[in-house]
Amino acid sequence: MYKSEKQTIFYVLALYLSSTLLLITTLFTGYYFYKQEELIHTEKEILKQYSLTLEETLLSVHENSDEKYEYPRFKNFKSAIYDIDKNLIFSTLDTKIENLDKDFFVKDSNAYYVSSLKPYYLGAAYSVVEKKKKPINILNDLIISAMIVITITIITSFFLVKLVLKPLRDNLRLLDNFIKETTHELNTPITTILANIETLDAKSCDEKSMRKLQRIKTASTTISNLYQDLVYLLLNHQISSQNEELNLSEILNQRVHYFSQMANVKKLNLNVDIKEDVYFNADRQKIERLIDNILSNAIKYTNKFTTIKVVLTQHTLSISDEGKGMSQDEISTIFQRYRRFDKTQGGFGIGYSIIKSIIDEYGIKIDIESEIQKGTKVTLSW
Amino acid sequence: MVKITLFIVLLSSFLNASSFEENCLSCHGNDFKFNMMMKKYTQKYSSEKRIKEAIFNYLKEPTVEKSVLPYEYINRFGPKEKTTLDDKTLREMIDIYYDKFNIQSKIY
Repeated sequence: MYKSEKQTIFYVLALYLSSTLLLITTLFTGYYFYKQEELIHTEKEILKQYSLTLEETLLSVHENSDEKYEYPRFKNFKSAIYDIDKNLIFSTLDTKIENLDKDFFVKDSNAYYVSSLKPYYLGAAYSVVEKKKKPINILNDLIISAMIVITITIITSFFLVKLVLKPLRDNLRLLDNFIKETTHELNTPITTILANIETLDAKSCDEKSMRKLQRIKTASTTISNLYQDLVYLLLNHQISSQNEELNLSEILNQRVHYFSQMANVKKLNLNVDIKEDVYFNADRQKIERLIDNILSNAIKYTNKFTTIKVVLTQHTLSISDEGKGMSQDEISTIFQRYRRFDKTQGGFGIGYSIIKSIIDEYGIKIDIESEIQKGTKVTLSW
Repeated sequence: MVKITLFIVLLSSFLNASSFEENCLSCHGNDFKFNMMMKKYTQKYSSEKRIKEAIFNYLKEPTVEKSVLPYEYINRFGPKEKTTLDDKTLREMIDIYYDKFNIQSKIY
């Protein structure tokens, strides 16, 4: 799975999940409040019934007693009665009720219902009935339901994203296969051309033929370089690194020499300042790919008759050109595979993708400074 | 001190009882259903303040409308005569009546 693909899956999942979560939270909050309202309604209805029972009993006590009046007491609820001026007449409640204006209220986990009475049996103009409030036990169920819904959402969204990305994956695979096959077919002719050019005797050629030969050599080097990149890219994950203590100064000199012919074609001045005996522990092939890519990019994108500066110090390598440069936006997307800013130049746009994978492997820091129409400076530090 | 207080309380209740007998029981007699009348007033006026006010108003100016007795009864026998007591005495008698017969103090 490509990194960009992973990123897309992550973003889509995040978006899908956050919107689903928002929806679930809204629905469940609404449901919670609905249940709460329903519970209050039920409690109110029960208390109303209790209130009627109390009223009937008050009537009975008022009518049937003469000397003493036994206040009615019930198992299910407690009660109190107040006169028309809201003075307490009698109460079995544990708390004092301050306000008789609301018909229903909840206080200290008890639910209360206030009702007006008439006629005033035992002088009662208001009755207050109290019962234990039933707790709402739906929160746990809601959390479990939410977790189930979220799990299902994650699974479905993952498959959904994979389904949506399938055409893109197929296209990328097609492109990779194409490059793989092309690379394979290029190997033999390139090797043949380069080997034969090297064996040609320069003295036996006239100046005109020599120039033509040099151009063929440059072109072959470019193709060879491209071939190396493609092979690296395709086999990158299949070969393990053969790390060794490399003389970076020596390798850099060799690579500069290798590209000097290419630089000559553009009449470039190669300003080389390489510190002797700089060592670095890495895979030779990978370090060559790293240097080749930065160097070939500098040569490829710089203007004719300019200077390319190669500086190696103990802990840095910088290669700068005087080419067309890049914008900040371009720099930020430079490491994406197949990203090419200048379609007039050859290549597949895989150079910086290779650079990135190598510097990441060896913990090398890269710094790209670029200014439009002034040039680019790439600095590696370790 | 305790003896003096006890003496004052007993004396005052004796005086109250005797004035209630003099001003109320002299006409109504011991057979009068004071309890029943209090139940009627309580059922209609609820609070102490309103009950006392209603009794006062009725005794000062008795009418069929102000009476708490059943319509058939009051229609047949008519309302009682106006009280001859002055306002102060009347209110004192109502207070005694309320203290003796109010329902609230009898609820247990």
